[in-house]
Amino acid sequence: MSDQLFRSRLNEDIARRSYYGKFIFNSHFLIFLTITAGFFLYSLLSLLETLEPTLWLDVIAAFLVSILLIPAYRTLLKEADGVFLLPYEAKFGKYLSAADRYSLTLGIIKPLIGGTIAVLLLTVGHGLVEIITFIAGAIIFYVMNFHIKKAVVNSRLSTPWMMAGLIGLSFISLMLIVQSPFWLLPAVAVYWVALVYARRTSHPRLDWNAMIDYEASQLNSYYRNVALFTNVSHIDKQFKRRRYLDPFLWQPKGRAFSKEKMYEYLFYRTFARSHDLPMIILRLILLFGIVMVWIGNLYFSIIIVLFGIYIIVLQMSQIYTAQAYLLWPKVWPVDRGFIQKSYVDYSHKLVLVISVLFSLIFLGIHYEYFFLVILFPLWGYFINRSLSRTVYRKEKELSD
Amino acid sequence: MVLQINQLTGGYSKTPVIRDISFNIEAGEIVGLIGLNGAGKSTTIKHILGLLRPHSGEIRVGGMTAEMDIEAYRRQLAYIPESPVLYEELTLREHIQMTAMAYGIDEATALERSERLLEIFRLETKVDMFPTHFSKGMKQKVMLICAFLSHPDLYIIDEPFLGLDPLGIESLINLMVEEKHKGRSILMSTHILATAERYCDRFAIIDDGRLIAFGSLDALRSEFNMPGATLDEVYLRITGGGIQNV
Repeated sequence: MSDQLFRSRLNEDIARRSYYGKFIFNSHFLIFLTITAGFFLYSLLSLLETLEPTLWLDVIAAFLVSILLIPAYRTLLKEADGVFLLPYEAKFGKYLSAADRYSLTLGIIKPLIGGTIAVLLLTVGHGLVEIITFIAGAIIFYVMNFHIKKAVVNSRLSTPWMMAGLIGLSFISLMLIVQSPFWLLPAVAVYWVALVYARRTSHPRLDWNAMIDYEASQLNSYYRNVALFTNVSHIDKQFKRRRYLDPFLWQPKGRAFSKEKMYEYLFYRTFARSHDLPMIILRLILLFGIVMVWIGNLYFSIIIVLFGIYIIVLQMSQIYTAQAYLLWPKVWPVDRGFIQKSYVDYSHKLVLVISVLFSLIFLGIHYEYFFLVILFPLWGYFINRSLSRTVYRKEKELSD
Repeated sequence: MVLQINQLTGGYSKTPVIRDISFNIEAGEIVGLIGLNGAGKSTTIKHILGLLRPHSGEIRVGGMTAEMDIEAYRRQLAYIPESPVLYEELTLREHIQMTAMAYGIDEATALERSERLLEIFRLETKVDMFPTHFSKGMKQKVMLICAFLSHPDLYIIDEPFLGLDPLGIESLINLMVEEKHKGRSILMSTHILATAERYCDRFAIIDDGRLIAFGSLDALRSEFNMPGATLDEVYLRITGGGIQNV
């Protein structure tokens, strides 16, 4: 029974991934990915021809792989399972084994890509034996990391600390293996001790609440990643207080303390306190900045800035969608048109700030083409206007 | 007349949930909206708020329909839902400010009104916290503070006592009575009939989507020939103890 249950949930999860996959990997994004990957591979291979062996290459390779070596743990458990499946706990082994297999294969693509880049870097100054031991170690650590993570999720140990610990352990182990393949055995021994410790602290049976909460957080995290590219209606909104930002948040005074400005007041707070939106935007700017510096090509930099602004603006429209459908805007004696107007005011200001940040990075790399930065705020303005109109139109259609 | 409902038929889709409902509320009156689960109380409330479009019939608040001027219509109403609906990203103070801006109350007045309400509901030390981290009763108090801040002509309160502690219930009743004496009206949906009997002037009893009785307790007693009966007894007699709905 339990493996049938997992199979049906697995099909549900695959259907969900293929549904959102269609939105994420649309033709524009695939073209962008192909161009970026081509540029990246071309420049990496050119770089490798000129590089001299150095410890820093080992550090980059080991770090790149170690941050990608922690598999997802997806049990596909649901809230009601804590009540309805409790009597079947003893017969739940098959379900969890199937969940293990699914989890191990689910995120394999990331370490594969990271591993390929790392191996290319290691070809500078390392022999075949060291590289093969590095790959073998990475595979062993991937599986061990998974079992440790699984035990920690079902225990009272802190998951974020475990993640940090495992990244550290993988990094040190891989670094040592690259220096001498004989370090593989001691590294596996340390991993074994960590696994035994994690299993000893683990709940003797299933900690249903912890497992269900963890699965819910994983699903929500998946939705948040998808939300980078498309609207996800049932994403759990999470907010952080971030009291330190309070002095920077706009406080309407006098005539601005009015219904015309109330949604702008709300949008700034929604953005500043969103659990991940400001961090996602910051990460995207940093990531695109690093890629621009790495590639150093004028046309590529322009494409990446335009794409970066596009993806960030796409992200931001979630805030409007989230607020427009809540109860209070429908009950308050306030014209719904003010939500749109406030969103326009808020989003254009924010997009301008983001465009300026991209422009500064661009100027740092291609200062001789300073006049081109005028493109970025203009692009931000038009793309924001166009995407916002689509969101308003959808909202109007739904409300009619 | 603060609220006037004439032959209202409506619901969520084309199939009506409520049929031919008519009642009214005078200024300074508390009216209890009574009915079993699924009887149509919340649907009636949503129609009054203008969240649903009537299939037929008319609703007037202060003599005005929602179609005439939705903003002016809603300015006369304050709504407290059964389950607290709060902005997860706003503090209690910011909820108060949003409500004040929505109802066109200036900052100083909002501050003055809210200070008293925060004190009544013992939340004055929590103004800079996210109410979503509060207990259910405390969240309900936030909803009450925001509603009573706006001084509307008509309060629509869905299950007001749900989740409130005894002190909170007492504070709410005192506030309701105070507002009533100021000429403001309250439509209160509740299952706690003993409290409703003490504080409501009239009762609108809804069963299976129809208004089956409307009037003061004395009027209901004489209509159903039950002298000295409590609201519970009258209600059970009128609805047949809910047996027909089982």
